[in-house]
Amino acid sequence: MPVWLREHRWHQTLTTLYLSLPLRGARATPANIFCTERYLKVSIPPFLFEAILYAPIDDTSSTAKIRNGNIFFTLYKKEPAMWDSLTVENADKEKLQYIRENAVLKAQERAKEETEAKKVTKQEHKNYALEATMKLEEAERKRIEDLKEKERQKVTKELELWKNQQKEADKYKSIQKEGDLNKEIWQLKERKNEKMNKTMIPNEGTFKTKLKPTKGHGSSSMFSQNLKEEQIPAPRSAATIKVNFTPRVFPTALRESRVAEEEEWLHKQAEARRTISADLSELEDLKEEEKNPDWLKDKGNKMFAMGNYLAAVNAYNLAVRLNNKLPLLYLNRAACHLKLRNLHKAIEDSSKALELLTPPVPDNENARVKAYVRRGTAFCQLELYTEGLQDYEAALKIDPKNKNIEKDAEKIRYLIQGTMQGS
Amino acid sequence: SAPGLERPQVVSHVQQSLSYTVFDCKWVPRSARLLCLGSAARGTGVVQLYELRGARLELLREIEKPKPMKCGTFGATSLQQRYLATGDFGGNLNIWNLEAPEIPVYSVKGHKEIINSIDGVGGLGIGEGAPEIVTGSRDGTVKVWDPRQKDTPVANMEPVQGESKRDCWTVAFGNAYNQEERVVCAGYDNGDIKLFDLKTMSLRWETNIKNGVCSVEFDRKDINMNKLVATSLEGKFHVFDMRTQHPTKGFASVSEKAQKSTIWQVRHLPQNRDIFMTSGGSGSLHLWKYEYPAQRSKKDSEGAEMGVAGSLSLLQNVTLSTQPISSLDWSPDKKGLCVCGAFDQTVRVLIVTKLNKI
Repeated sequence: MPVWLREHRWHQTLTTLYLSLPLRGARATPANIFCTERYLKVSIPPFLFEAILYAPIDDTSSTAKIRNGNIFFTLYKKEPAMWDSLTVENADKEKLQYIRENAVLKAQERAKEETEAKKVTKQEHKNYALEATMKLEEAERKRIEDLKEKERQKVTKELELWKNQQKEADKYKSIQKEGDLNKEIWQLKERKNEKMNKTMIPNEGTFKTKLKPTKGHGSSSMFSQNLKEEQIPAPRSAATIKVNFTPRVFPTALRESRVAEEEEWLHKQAEARRTISADLSELEDLKEEEKNPDWLKDKGNKMFAMGNYLAAVNAYNLAVRLNNKLPLLYLNRAACHLKLRNLHKAIEDSSKALELLTPPVPDNENARVKAYVRRGTAFCQLELYTEGLQDYEAALKIDPKNKNIEKDAEKIRYLIQGTMQGS
Repeated sequence: SAPGLERPQVVSHVQQSLSYTVFDCKWVPRSARLLCLGSAARGTGVVQLYELRGARLELLREIEKPKPMKCGTFGATSLQQRYLATGDFGGNLNIWNLEAPEIPVYSVKGHKEIINSIDGVGGLGIGEGAPEIVTGSRDGTVKVWDPRQKDTPVANMEPVQGESKRDCWTVAFGNAYNQEERVVCAGYDNGDIKLFDLKTMSLRWETNIKNGVCSVEFDRKDINMNKLVATSLEGKFHVFDMRTQHPTKGFASVSEKAQKSTIWQVRHLPQNRDIFMTSGGSGSLHLWKYEYPAQRSKKDSEGAEMGVAGSLSLLQNVTLSTQPISSLDWSPDKKGLCVCGAFDQTVRVLIVTKLNKI
C-alpha cells in the first residue's frame, strides 16, 4: 500500500498554478514525475501523490523543480480561470480510473510522436550528409574528366596536324617522283658512257631516307624499283625442316588448368581397356603390363621392326585374347603373317581388321588402305590375281595418290592379261 | 590522382561499328589510313580501307572476296607499292594491289587448312635481304614464301612423317639484320614455341610454355634478335631475352600473368622497342615496359654463358570492350596511335599519351 503524500500546498494566479510538495525525505528524480493534461502523479515508492486536476493544463510548458526535499510545480493553465480547488472533488472511482488510463495513453502517444519526430530529423541529417559527400566526389571526378578531356583534345589536334603534314608530303613526293624518274633516265644514259658523278639529292622533309652504299657506286636510295632489285638477293633455295611436336593426345589446345582433368580421363581410359575378366586363369601368371593390350601391341610392333615375326605374332595373339575389338592388332598381325608366308592367316586377319574398321571415315583411311594392300598381296601370292586386283583397286579408291599401289595394280593387271592370253 | 595522371593514358579517339567479324586490322604505312579484314555473315571475306578524318573514320574502299580473310601484313612490300598480303580461311595466300584488287598480284593455295597467322619482312625499307612472307596454318606447317617464286615455298617447316599435327597459331620473323640472317618463330596450340633459322635451314631452339601460344613477336625484326614476347592462353605471357642462348637451357625469360583470360595479341611500339601492349580476352589492353637487368648475361657453373631476364612493369591498363580484342596494330608513323579490332564487331582507334616521358 502506498503512502499518500498529502501535505501539499498550492496557490494560483489567473494563468498559473503553483504547487509545492514536500517529500518527507525521499529523493526525487524526473522519472518519478508523471504529468499529463489533467493528471499529475508523483511516485517515489513507497510514497505516492496523485492529483486529478480541476482543469486541463499545458503539460509541455509546465515545469517541476526538485529542491530541498520538495517539488515545486509551475503549471500553466490551458484556460485562464481561477480554479475552485486543485483537484476534482467528489470524483467517483470509475472516473478517476478512466482519467488515469487516459493520461497514461496520452503520455505513450506523446512519447511515440517524439521518437518519430526524432527519427525523421535523423534521416534528414543523414540525407544531407550523403548529398554533401556525393557532391564532393562528383566534383573530384569532374576534375579528372576535364584533365582527360584536355589531353584528348590536345592529342587530336596533334593528330590532325600530322595528317596534314602527311598529305603535303604525299603531294610533294608525287611531284618529286616524276622529277626523279626523268633524272634516272638521264643518269642511266650517262653511266653507260662515263663514270659516276655526284647527283643532287633532293630534300624529302618528313621522310627517312637510307643511304645504302651499293657495289662501287655512292648514290641515294631514291632509285626506282628496277634498280633496287639488283641489290636484293635471289629467292632462297627451297628446303624443308622437319618438326617434332611435344606429344599431346587431345586435339584441343593445351591449357594448364585442364591438365589435371585430362590426365584423369586418360587414366580412366587405360583402365577401361584392361580386361577385368578373371576367367582366363593364365592371366595370373602375367605381369601387370602384359595384361595391357596397348603395351602388347607396342611390343609386337617392336618385334616386327626387329624382324622377329614369330614373337610379334605371339604378342598380338595375347593382345587379341584380352581385347578382340582393336582393328590395329589384326592389321599388324596380318603383316607378320605375310612375312611368315602364312597367306591364309594374313587374309583372315586383314578381313577381320576391315570388318572392325567400319564405318569408313577419313580417320581410319590409313588403316584401311594398309588392310586392303596386305590382303591384296596375300591373294596375289596365292595366285588369286583377280581377288588381289579387287583389293588393290579398293585401296587405290581410298588413296588415289599413292604411286606404289598404282604400280602394283598395273603389274597385277598385266599378269592377269598375260595368263588370260596364255590360256 | 596526380601520380596516376603522369602515366601514359589510353584515349579512345574513334570507334567504328562494322557489319562483319573483324579478324585483323593494320595501318597502311606512311598514311592515316587503316585496313580491316574479316569475315562477313554470308561467309565471304571482306577488306575495308578507312581513312582517319577528324573524329571519324571514312570508308574509302570495300573489297569482297570468296573466302573469309584471317590475317594480313604489309611487311614484305615496298613503300611505293604497299601491296597487302593476306591469308584466308581456305589456306590461300594472296598479295593484293589495293588500287586494283580484282586480281591478286600473287596467289597460291599454300595450306590445306586456314592460315592462322602471317608476317612479312624485307619490305617497307626495314631490314635487309629479300622480301619474304611466312604463314602458319592449322595444318601444322609453317611456310616461307618469296613473292618472286610461284607455287612453291622457299622454306617449309612441316611435321615429321606419321607425326600427328598440331595447329600453328602464330608466326613472326626476326633477326633480319643483314642479307643472309633470318629466323622464323612459330607458336603452336600445344604450347610449343619453335625457332627456325632460315640461313642454316634448321631448328635453332624450341621450348614449351604449357599453354597454347596465341601470339609471338620480336621487339624488332631488323636487328640482331633482342627480345621475344610470347603470349598464351590462361592470361600468361613470357618475355625471352634472345641475346644469349645457353646450350641446354635455351633463352632466359620472365613471365607475367596479367589476367585470367587469353592474351590474344602482343605488339611492340615501333618507336620504342621496350614498350609493348597486350590485348586480352576480357576486352582489355595492358601497356608494359621491360627493364633490362644490370647484367644481361652471366656464366653458369660450367662456364657457359646464360642470359638474365629483366623485369616488367605495367604502365597502364584499360578495358574497352566486353569481347576479346583479337587484333592490334601500332602506327609506324605516329607514336602512340594504334588501332584495335574486337569481336564485338568494332574497330577502335586509340591514342596512347605521354609515351615520350617513359
